[in-house]
Amino acid sequence: MISKKIAIEVLNAALSTGADYAEIFFEDSHANSLSIENGKVNVSTSNSMCGVGLRLLKENKSVYGYTNNLTKAGLIKHALSLAKSFNGERLLTVTDFQNIKCKNRNPITDSFDDHSREEKIALLKGGIEEINNLKDPRIVRTIAGFSNNYRFVQLYNSKGKTFKRATEFGRVGFTVVCADENGFESSFEGPGTQVGYKYFTDVINVKKVAKETAEKALKMLTAAECPSGKMPVVIGNGWGGVLFHEACGHPLEASAVSKGLSPFAGKVGQKVASSVVSAVDDSTMPGAWGSIDIDDEGNLGTKRLLIKNGILQDYMIDDFNGRRINREGNGACRRQNYRFCPTSRMSNTYICNGKSTKEEIIKATKLGLYAVSFKGGSVDPSTSEFNFGCSEAYIIRDGKICEPVKGATLVGKGHEILEKIDMVANDLDVGQGMCGAASGSIRTNVGQPTLRVSEITVGGRGGELK
Amino acid sequence: MSKYDIFFKLAKEAGIENCELTVSESYSFGFAIFHAQVEQYEVNNGFAIAARGIINGKAGSASCDVFNKEKAKYLVDEIVKNAKVMEDDDPVFIYPGSPKYKKVNTVNKELRDIPEDKKIKDALELERLVRAKDQRIVEVANIYYQEDHSSFTIMNSLGLKLSQKNNNFFMYAAAVAKQGDEVKSNGAFFLDNDYSKLDLNKLADEAVNNTVSQLGGEACESNNYKVVLDRDAFSSLINAYISSTDAEEVQKKTSLFIGKLGQKIASKKVTIEDAPLAKSLFARSFDNEGVATYNKPIIKNGILQTYLYNLTTAAKDGVESTGNGFGSAAKSGVSPVFLRMKPGKLSLNELFAKVNNGVYITEINGLHAGLDPQTGNFSLQSAGFLIKDGKKDRPLDVITISGNLIKLFEGIEEVGNDSKVFAQAVENPSVIVNKLAVGGK
Repeated sequence: MISKKIAIEVLNAALSTGADYAEIFFEDSHANSLSIENGKVNVSTSNSMCGVGLRLLKENKSVYGYTNNLTKAGLIKHALSLAKSFNGERLLTVTDFQNIKCKNRNPITDSFDDHSREEKIALLKGGIEEINNLKDPRIVRTIAGFSNNYRFVQLYNSKGKTFKRATEFGRVGFTVVCADENGFESSFEGPGTQVGYKYFTDVINVKKVAKETAEKALKMLTAAECPSGKMPVVIGNGWGGVLFHEACGHPLEASAVSKGLSPFAGKVGQKVASSVVSAVDDSTMPGAWGSIDIDDEGNLGTKRLLIKNGILQDYMIDDFNGRRINREGNGACRRQNYRFCPTSRMSNTYICNGKSTKEEIIKATKLGLYAVSFKGGSVDPSTSEFNFGCSEAYIIRDGKICEPVKGATLVGKGHEILEKIDMVANDLDVGQGMCGAASGSIRTNVGQPTLRVSEITVGGRGGELK
Repeated sequence: MSKYDIFFKLAKEAGIENCELTVSESYSFGFAIFHAQVEQYEVNNGFAIAARGIINGKAGSASCDVFNKEKAKYLVDEIVKNAKVMEDDDPVFIYPGSPKYKKVNTVNKELRDIPEDKKIKDALELERLVRAKDQRIVEVANIYYQEDHSSFTIMNSLGLKLSQKNNNFFMYAAAVAKQGDEVKSNGAFFLDNDYSKLDLNKLADEAVNNTVSQLGGEACESNNYKVVLDRDAFSSLINAYISSTDAEEVQKKTSLFIGKLGQKIASKKVTIEDAPLAKSLFARSFDNEGVATYNKPIIKNGILQTYLYNLTTAAKDGVESTGNGFGSAAKSGVSPVFLRMKPGKLSLNELFAKVNNGVYITEINGLHAGLDPQTGNFSLQSAGFLIKDGKKDRPLDVITISGNLIKLFEGIEEVGNDSKVFAQAVENPSVIVNKLAVGGK
């Protein structure tokens, strides 16, 4: 930890050349991860991280640097070297700090550190046994993983504010690869939580997760190749929300919006989606994978309504990018760890429930694709052009879910897709992912109810959809 | 006496038979320009240490980013706890050293001495140039400069100690072009460690052309086309294909190249080598296990020459490590150092002429989701141009390409002479592929 006395000296050194904001972000974290491949533990490792990231702002310029030298002299030297980027007179002096009051919706209970490696291995092996019980010779590789992180952060800033917070999160993952004479297929499931170890024993059924992962891979192994071309696409609930995350969530971050580098820039109050679409980014869901009580610059986590009935309401904003659009940060400033300069990011982002049912949507679709789940994707926020690989998909014919298809990739432009969502069901669910962007890899939930897009370009190797 | 001796002493006391430490130190400096001002500026001093130790034939590992007596104890304690639960039967090694290590020169001593002000001034000039070259450029999303100086040291309880330094810089220009309601973004980069090679005008031209040339596009009809794969797009596919030479994937029966040693896995026009000792930014004289590296052909005239091995996979196959052990302390791994494809004789325009009517693919996105390395099947977001009457024609908007890597490499009909080095440590030219499914309208 950094003492108040040292923090005052370091911040005042940082502010000596005219920065209008300075911040010390101290982190002391540790992590453990395990992997079991084909039934045998093949990775067990531990990591400890301890360092300081210093950030200085002046108008629209940000200066950042991290160091592992945590002595008073080392930190002051680091602060002075960053301060060289400015050449003005001192504007601010820090004399004291007040604690930021904030709720603790994600307290550490049933700490992962209180459970031994052996116990976690037994949990995973329970899942592997379920896969083995399928006795399917086409399963050629199983990888089960358990990772948990403890993160302690402490922040001091030149607004005279400070906070410290410890959080803990853990994730289980199963990867199953199967093969036949025609090739391979793999699938992955990775539930994660901030609730503590008990989530994996009392809340979800790890054995069931493992079995479903294997079953999905087996089902897709024998699937035909997905046809290509433009077609209606019904996107499944839960993980289907990764499409909204990539294609619309990233362009709604202040890092893109504040510079006008997003199709959504300057469009608050305007219609950006079909009227059946409402969407939120909610940092306040207790214990959820993407939740934060306080962000990495000291703003409280909030529930942000992004789109209401098709009308754009707000963005994910951090203080620095907010400066260009005259807005304060709204609790969305995040970073992977002290080595990253923080910026506006998502937390738990989802499309809200609509009025249709999944059955009605399928029934209303004559010929199209039902994309249940995705492997991931990417987006260019300035144009909102996206791509997603489907991990589970089916053809819909005459209102019925028919044969499974593999190798489907959806491409398009996020802001155009939003306007083409014509039906939204009432079965909202979320899925856990890691989101990579400028400030590193962070935990996020994606989510949505089942919904239909009237037309998306689908890439696949199966020729024309008939 | 080294400050790390304490680790080896504690390890011995804890019953760790053999152990190693790898120490990575780095200095990086970077900035981003937006609207003629430095918007972001970063200076970092990084330190990371990873430790691995063997007890009863099992390897445990741990890592941290501060080193002192307390952390040395943490590393040793965690190695012991982690080794205890390991069940893998694969042989593990702490390596005593190769007989000889070739010297490689990977540091440009002048780079750090060039004043920051000069680099910032150049970046500002680059932004001005990008904006000035074409009125359809409505924004320069950023000009990004990053410079890295790193050192990597491996030391172990058998007395091996090796060290290597690398440095490089990277300048990137990201432009946004607009025509009517249509917005396109793209950019261009320059990577080297010799700052004097940076040509701002050329880089600006490239960024502007890459961006404005995409305006006015629409998708083509979905069909199979003969394709020119631009060197940039092709480099990521080379990386994906060569990843199948990882001996671990072969041993676990999930590689595309099982049983393919000495067999044809690409057209005879394809020759690709792993060249760790070639003069490049990526040069390495030893791998992360301490084994000496050497240059070796991987595909020669279409024939697979070798798998790539680290110490563990080599022991399992009864061969020598190829010096490709680039995993972490936590998990052994295999990867090439610097892939170089042998160029052909034709220029890019001659490749267009040869295709006559087809598609020129300049961009491929989403490999992590759209390409399955175990089957080689891919379906990827893509962008490019039509090739009409032997010339590059109109741009193509929102298209996909799909196929299989083996078929793609076997279908390479011609190799261009326009080789370029890419940041993913691949040097390759553009190629003609006989047939690729393009998804559009």
